Amino acid sequence: MIIRQLMLRQGRRALFAPTRRWIRALNTETIEASLEHHIRETQPIEEFVNSQSHVPVQPTDALTSESETEELTTAETWEAIQAQKQTTGPLGSALSHLYRPHELVNNPPSPKDISVESLIAAQAHLGHSTSLWHPGNSRYIFGIRSGIHIIDPSITAAHLRRACRIVSGVTARGGIVLFAGTREGQERCVVKAAELAGGCHLFERWTPGSITNGQQILARCKTKVVDEFDNDVTHLFGDQLMNRSVLKPDLVVCLNPRENYVLLHECGLNGVPTIGIVDTDQDPTWVTYPIPANDDSLRCVQTIAGVLGRAGETGKKARLEAADQGIITFNPAERLRNPGSRSGSESRPSR
Amino acid sequence: MNSVRIRACFNNIAVSWSRHPGRGINSAWTHRSILHQTRCQSFSQSAARTGIAAPEIDFSTNEQIRDVSLLERVRVIPASPSYFTAKPDFTDSFLSLQNIYRKYQTLPTVQPGHAPRVSWKSLAQYRLLVGEPVKAAKYHKVLQILGRLNQIHPSLMPEEVRREIDSYKRLLNAHENMPRERTGDGFGRAIGVGRRKSSSARVWLVEGDGQVLVNGKSLTETFPRLHDRESALWALKATQRLDKYNVWALVSGGGLTGQAGALTLGVAKALLIHEPALKPALRRAGCITRDPRRVERKKPGKVKARKMPAWVKR
Repeated sequence: MIIRQLMLRQGRRALFAPTRRWIRALNTETIEASLEHHIRETQPIEEFVNSQSHVPVQPTDALTSESETEELTTAETWEAIQAQKQTTGPLGSALSHLYRPHELVNNPPSPKDISVESLIAAQAHLGHSTSLWHPGNSRYIFGIRSGIHIIDPSITAAHLRRACRIVSGVTARGGIVLFAGTREGQERCVVKAAELAGGCHLFERWTPGSITNGQQILARCKTKVVDEFDNDVTHLFGDQLMNRSVLKPDLVVCLNPRENYVLLHECGLNGVPTIGIVDTDQDPTWVTYPIPANDDSLRCVQTIAGVLGRAGETGKKARLEAADQGIITFNPAERLRNPGSRSGSESRPSR
Repeated sequence: MNSVRIRACFNNIAVSWSRHPGRGINSAWTHRSILHQTRCQSFSQSAARTGIAAPEIDFSTNEQIRDVSLLERVRVIPASPSYFTAKPDFTDSFLSLQNIYRKYQTLPTVQPGHAPRVSWKSLAQYRLLVGEPVKAAKYHKVLQILGRLNQIHPSLMPEEVRREIDSYKRLLNAHENMPRERTGDGFGRAIGVGRRKSSSARVWLVEGDGQVLVNGKSLTETFPRLHDRESALWALKATQRLDKYNVWALVSGGGLTGQAGALTLGVAKALLIHEPALKPALRRAGCITRDPRRVERKKPGKVKARKMPAWVKR
């Protein structure tokens, strides 16, 4: 009985395993030989396919491919990849309603794109933990969810639109708008907004006293004289810019007011209006025009900075168009002497 | 939407002015102008409410610039958008460098460690260049971008990047300063100079049968100690070439140990001129490296360099 059970349990392994080894030993064909055999079989097929179609089939074996293709240099490979991308790029389905992070910076939305949906998509409604709140924000808060305050996005949209009007109004009157966002990652949107609005940017620490003690801190920073078309006419005024007082911003847009108390305080002392993103843990009275929103979300900050930059751009365009019509929308610089006695230098620059 | 309104307002003023020369906008009582005027008023009122720094502009009076002098249509603005950073030139150059990096970010790079070695401007040189008190951490960021740009494959390096990189390079690249290649004189003699402690040796090596003359004397006469004789010719012995070269050397300065060590280095350098392929073997034998140790100076309060005076009770 024991022997029969042994046969049942181990018999198959004992009988078949050695058989396979014997088969391999009996087979005279080596691996190399079988590979050659395989190539001999596939090459006629390749030749047939190549003769039938104008797109050649890549050779399957290393020997043939080595002999036929030369090694590409890095530049050639790169160009080949670019050409490949150009041909295959437009293929496939068209995707829409995508969030592409770089587009908020490269092509920011304009004020007319502000909507509750876009603000919620940018996480503008998420506040801080309820225990961290500042009661001054109670009018902006919609409710509580999962222990955090939710900001009412319709109020955010309204305040953002108001801020847009202010920014475009200031740039339409030739004012200097300073965009300040000193947190990690805010650099690009700040620079872009300043570029659009024709203003200034600040993405690193605010040097304390740049407004209240500007004569010391900004003394070596250059200024220029421009006419109503923003053409540089500094050369006409010689060294008259040397002993002028330093400039102050006419409007400050602060994307992270919590870290920039000194900046906002200096603005308050000098009557410079400020716009700021106010989260639920932030005192809204630090800034003149708060925009209740989530200042910890980079997407939200980029949206708001981009919208304000676009608003500044429209204001700037309006000023230049008015200049084209012959209307000056800004107060001319004071205490500048006439560059020359001859009136020839006062003629309008040719456009 | 608001901007559209502003533009319409400006346009309207201009249009009405051209239609009714010499009359203000208030006299143009068309339906459209009333509409636009009210819009204009609301706009300026809102601006007044905001209390912005610039005084309010009265749009109802026509301002003509056809014959307005230059002084009445100029304003003073910052020369750079980085005005309020207090370091405008540095910030502008940093931003332009970042833009270039972003533009060419996807170009293929060389393998790590294969980029051409560049000596960048030092922090002091860079500060002189921009004329602003740039902090070391900020310049480190600049150098990081430059290092990455330098890694772009040379065959695909754009001209713009090359120009930008060149402006941050030192005038002289220390890494291009290679030692000149040494050759023997035309008569089969190779000269090598070696130093150790305060001795220096000049060694002339010619192919021969193993004769050695140091300062005109034999090796045994010059170095009575066996160890010194061994170390003087260690370069030849370690490469089994004692009987293949003749050595003629002049040694001066220092003591016997120093002179023997100076000979080692001199012989090794001369041998490298004959057979450059021996360099790894000679380095393993310890004949290539100059021993930089010198006599340590005596210090005050000590007997020698480090020896303390004997301790005396009271």
